Amino acid sequence: MTFNENAFENLRLELRRGCLTLAVLAQLREEYYGYTLCKALAERGLVIDESTLYPLVRRLETQGLLTSEWREEEKRNKRFYRLSADGERILGQLVEEWKSINQSIQNIL
Amino acid sequence: MELLDRYLEAVKKHLPWKRQDDIIAELRANLEAQLEDKQEALGRPLTQGESEDWLRQIGLPRQVAARYQPQRYLIGPAIFGAYIHVLRTALLWAGMIYIVANVIQIAATGGEAAQASWVLLGVPGLLFTVAAWVTLVFIVLEAVGRQFPEKMPKELQELLGDSTKWSPAELPALEKAQAKGKRPRTYAMAVTEVVFGFLATGWLLLIPQNPYLLMGPGAAYLEASPFKLAPVWMTFFWSIVALNLLQAVWRWIDLIRDRWQHPGVVRKVVFKLGGLVPLVILLAAQPQACVLLKHPELDHERLGAALEQINTAIHRGFQIILAIVVLELAWEAGNYFWKVYRMQPGE
Repeated sequence: MTFNENAFENLRLELRRGCLTLAVLAQLREEYYGYTLCKALAERGLVIDESTLYPLVRRLETQGLLTSEWREEEKRNKRFYRLSADGERILGQLVEEWKSINQSIQNIL
Repeated sequence: MELLDRYLEAVKKHLPWKRQDDIIAELRANLEAQLEDKQEALGRPLTQGESEDWLRQIGLPRQVAARYQPQRYLIGPAIFGAYIHVLRTALLWAGMIYIVANVIQIAATGGEAAQASWVLLGVPGLLFTVAAWVTLVFIVLEAVGRQFPEKMPKELQELLGDSTKWSPAELPALEKAQAKGKRPRTYAMAVTEVVFGFLATGWLLLIPQNPYLLMGPGAAYLEASPFKLAPVWMTFFWSIVALNLLQAVWRWIDLIRDRWQHPGVVRKVVFKLGGLVPLVILLAAQPQACVLLKHPELDHERLGAALEQINTAIHRGFQIILAIVVLELAWEAGNYFWKVYRMQPGE
């Protein structure tokens, strides 16, 4: 990887990091378990590595933004996640912030 | 699938034991669901090679496990600035004290060059030990501060950089703009100057006992020759030692006071004028008193004329050097005053 490619990759990851959290919170207004969440995001055009998504979801749960529940589905125990009441409130604020940043960036670009 | 079991086992080894079973159970459920999807799409089980590719794409077990842990660091951003500051200061003081103490000891005991070499070889080890201790202390401070913030004394918190308690009025004055094409002075350069200043002083102090350090093989010739250096050379020598030490200490103080980037005018002037002192000392001596005969009663008749020629040449040489240094000083002083005159308001 050349210096420029490396620099671009670092900036790209930095740019994506905050957006991923917003996307995951928004997607979890419906209930999903890890793998189906990954697929749902990919179907909407946001491909995330499993090794990034699964720890992220657990972190958001630790922060109280998600609730989780172990439940059996298709003869297998799975952990389902959903947005908590706090998560709902924070998501609303983040969406407002996102819209404002997006508008500003559009104006600048 | 045995390979998946082995993979999960490898991830588990790098997870905190309190949460590892829960994380692995969830990861297993997710990966098995993904595997079923893949096999359904292919209409057959994955081959060994395909399974390996799939797991390789998920990531190295150690890295996957690391993502389940909070970001970890030994010294965090809150105290990292203080750490660097303390580390620099500690290294500087430790190095200087070590060198000065050893130089004084060697000079006082009439030590030899080999002793100075051992002192120099000990410097990296000393600096490494000091750096290790400072780092260890800050690692402990970070750990304690993170785990038990209430147990950190307020004074220590302020010392480490309380972001609410600083005064913009205490910020250092604006630095002069760097002249075009001139490389900015770096901290490493300033430290090197100080270190070499003290090392040079140490080297000078070894010369009286070990003249070959200055004259090389010439020391043996001088020893065997009928000539010897006059006592005025010792005054000349000690004035150079004093000047060198003054420069090293001044640079050291500037370094500690964070004034290393732009040395003050006073320092420059003192260094330049100080450079004249040894020359004046030599020239103030009687013209024929720089080199003497070891046995004048025996050799004066045979070597008297040569001795006079040597002394005259030395005296003339130092007169020329003094003239050059004075001219250089006058040129620099003229340049400085011209700049000051041009910078006056209204000009």
